[in-house]
Amino acid sequence: MTKLKSLMFAAILSTVSTAALAADPLDIAFTVHSGASNTFWQAVQKGYEDACAKVAATCQMVYVQTDGSAQEQVANMEAAIARKPTALITSIVDNTAFDDVIKRARDAGIIVIASNVDDLEGAAGNARQAFIGQGFVPAGYSLGKAQSANFPKEGPIRVLMGVSAPGQNWSEARAKGVLNFMDDYIKANPDRDIKYERIDSGTDLAVVSDRVGAYLLAHPDTNAYFDTGFWHAGVARVLADRKIAPGKVLLGGFDLVPEVLEQMKAGYVQVQVDQQPYMQGFMPVMEIYLAKTAGLAPSDIDTGQGIVTPDMVDGIMEKSAMGIR
Amino acid sequence: MRRLLKLALLKPELAATLLLLLLVLFFQIKSNMIFLTYDNLRGMLGFLPEVGLVAVGVTLLMICGEFDLSVGSVFALMPMTMAVLMVADWGFWPATGVGLLLSAFIGFLNGWITIKFEIPSFITTLGMLFMARSLTVVVSGGFPPRLNMDNIPEHLFISYVGPYDMFRASFLWFVGVALVVGFLLAKTNFGNWVRATGGFLPAAEAMGIPTNKVKIICFMICSVLAGFAGLIQVLRLGSPLPSIGEGMELQAVAAAVIGGTSLYGGIGSVLGGIIGAMLIRVIDNGMVMAQVNSNWFKFAVGALTIFAVVGNSWLRKRGRAMKVETKQ
Repeated sequence: MTKLKSLMFAAILSTVSTAALAADPLDIAFTVHSGASNTFWQAVQKGYEDACAKVAATCQMVYVQTDGSAQEQVANMEAAIARKPTALITSIVDNTAFDDVIKRARDAGIIVIASNVDDLEGAAGNARQAFIGQGFVPAGYSLGKAQSANFPKEGPIRVLMGVSAPGQNWSEARAKGVLNFMDDYIKANPDRDIKYERIDSGTDLAVVSDRVGAYLLAHPDTNAYFDTGFWHAGVARVLADRKIAPGKVLLGGFDLVPEVLEQMKAGYVQVQVDQQPYMQGFMPVMEIYLAKTAGLAPSDIDTGQGIVTPDMVDGIMEKSAMGIR
Repeated sequence: MRRLLKLALLKPELAATLLLLLLVLFFQIKSNMIFLTYDNLRGMLGFLPEVGLVAVGVTLLMICGEFDLSVGSVFALMPMTMAVLMVADWGFWPATGVGLLLSAFIGFLNGWITIKFEIPSFITTLGMLFMARSLTVVVSGGFPPRLNMDNIPEHLFISYVGPYDMFRASFLWFVGVALVVGFLLAKTNFGNWVRATGGFLPAAEAMGIPTNKVKIICFMICSVLAGFAGLIQVLRLGSPLPSIGEGMELQAVAAAVIGGTSLYGGIGSVLGGIIGAMLIRVIDNGMVMAQVNSNWFKFAVGALTIFAVVGNSWLRKRGRAMKVETKQ
């Protein structure tokens, strides 16, 4: 009898929760500043869709046609808000352009969570409720610090900082983090001749390799190149073409994509920062679910400043093939 | 002598050639004589075939009086198709064949829709730009497949060849293609048809030139060259990213225009398109070498585009105004 009661209770509970979900399914829109062709975002989308499937939410991911176009993204947000979704997840690549639209969404009772990129002023910058992503400046600092272990122990040091998308929060903030570290490193080593330079490196493998390749020729004393994305994989090809041994010019950057993992295995890339894009898609949906079902307030999650080194590559490659990393 | 000077001034690519020479000299001096070093030239010559092949196709099409804004997307779609098929155990050649056929089909569609519905090719190919880019992402599932370079005949496309390993094999393909297209344009009936179709369409039709066929063939050549260029880049970088070639369409149009191709059709040369593409690469590379603030890159390309076209127009006017005695 007890067994029968338990079974009946479980059946009722499952019917109620299914009915509740069916009566008020979550409707979520995710607007981003990237085009669909950026490999990084496919892992975010996979996390987002997996999470949506788990809570039976209706979800849509909206890319822009022109990579990095804030106005296009704002237009997409306006369109998403017009259909009154439960929640809006968005990247915030500009400190002011999104303020008004986010405020209107909040006023309309829509949950707004920032993912991947936040206003540089954080919660004070606009009305979003939480940020789930990497702290770019600390991540840049961590990258610089991790790579500095490979710097020559004596003599002058020249570092090149490739800013992939000048003017965009994510790229500028990462570069700032690396350069903050470099400033501290210079202060900690007052007797050494240490210089760094910034360059507009671009977001195309071929262009980045050509530009950085030219810089390395003009400055053969360059010890390290930092990229604010994963495009230093192209620079690794240039070094290999010029028969420059791995480690002669240290390479490091952000995000794990197959090209970078291969160059890490080859020894050309020593350090990479992983921001766990799958989590940036998955966790906002979970926070929205908890906010709607349990009234829990969305809160910030730092998805990581995980330093990845070549010895970790094999395990990551397996996950990468599954679209999770 | 005066006659030769007049002929030279009337050449559409003259201004760009002069500008190129001046810039090379400028960057060589500004970079403390590093710009023309072996390694830098080798790097630039490795990249040139990729932008150059696209510029050749776009130039041909612009001479024919049409535009193709979808070249950057076809540049990505062709190698992605090949890579996905190779991951599915297709051989390199069949997979490449399918990729090139797909490129040709996109070119055919661009031409057919433009002609059949009498809409500007600017619009048709703008639509195709988005469609082909989207297909690239769909085909790859968003995650670029890994190319197994062991199954690819690298020596035919990307290995270094020539004296001191100065060029990649792709450079030979580029020169070969440029010569063939240049020959077609300068020495064959087809070339005359292309110029006539782009120069003054009603007259070309009245003369019995199959203008529709000519246009469709030019669209197809342009698309196939863009796809082939994309293949070369992917083999060189070893990575079929779905984002490659973004913005390339505008660079290719800029290269053609800098090289003296008329936006209204009928005037232009393959050599001009190549010189235009070289100019853009030289500016990009030279500014890094010369330590110019990189925030000025796009400004420089834009200013030089205007400067080259104004220069071209001025030189041609001077050429036309120059009086030459004619022998009776």
